Amino acid sequence: MEKIHKPKKVFVQGPVSPQFIADAIAAHQSKTTIGAHAIFLGQIRADKKEEGTVTGIEYSAYEEMAEQAFHKIREEAFARFELTCMHIYHSLGLVPVGEISLFVFVSSPHRRAAFEASEFVVEAIKADVPIFGKELVEGGAHVWKENS
Amino acid sequence: MYYGMLAEITGHAEEVWTANESLSVGSFRALMLAKYPELQGKKFKVAVNQKISEDYAQIDTQAEVALLPPFAGG
Repeated sequence: MEKIHKPKKVFVQGPVSPQFIADAIAAHQSKTTIGAHAIFLGQIRADKKEEGTVTGIEYSAYEEMAEQAFHKIREEAFARFELTCMHIYHSLGLVPVGEISLFVFVSSPHRRAAFEASEFVVEAIKADVPIFGKELVEGGAHVWKENS
Repeated sequence: MYYGMLAEITGHAEEVWTANESLSVGSFRALMLAKYPELQGKKFKVAVNQKISEDYAQIDTQAEVALLPPFAGG
């Protein structure tokens, strides 16, 4: 049976808090067909650049196009893997080092689909979603981030 | 529309271009580089109506065009 997955709001202002993640996990306790969750959390690294040490990343996005890209990734993940549900949250604005900027949460009856879907979704986000990151470094300079 | 590093280089986030006829993404790139020489050597993709488009694609006169620097999500 084909399910319709409505576009969901992905962007959040600032970091994704640990409490938000805990609440998202708790919200799935009533979904008893799920046997496996896979969670990916992207955290801001204090990279050392020529310009100085990174203190945070300021994210911006071509929001309308990004929402469409997220929707396409969701549809594709549901088509490829046996998933019960999926949630993606990505920060906009400033996220200081050590804090979470990406939260991918996939749930499935079984672990293999959960592991594989989470990797697929994270890689697709990095490659296909028009999100831009300005790495702020100590002393006020900045460097534009580029996914490899 | 300009995003990320490109907004910094061009000095603005949006600009209206008036074109009398449709032009290709390739010619649009050339116009951009002529107007903003600092874009030379910078990597960017062109999205026409929110779809990444190759140089041969046509831009109609009402299109929304965005210059996108390398993606950095995650």
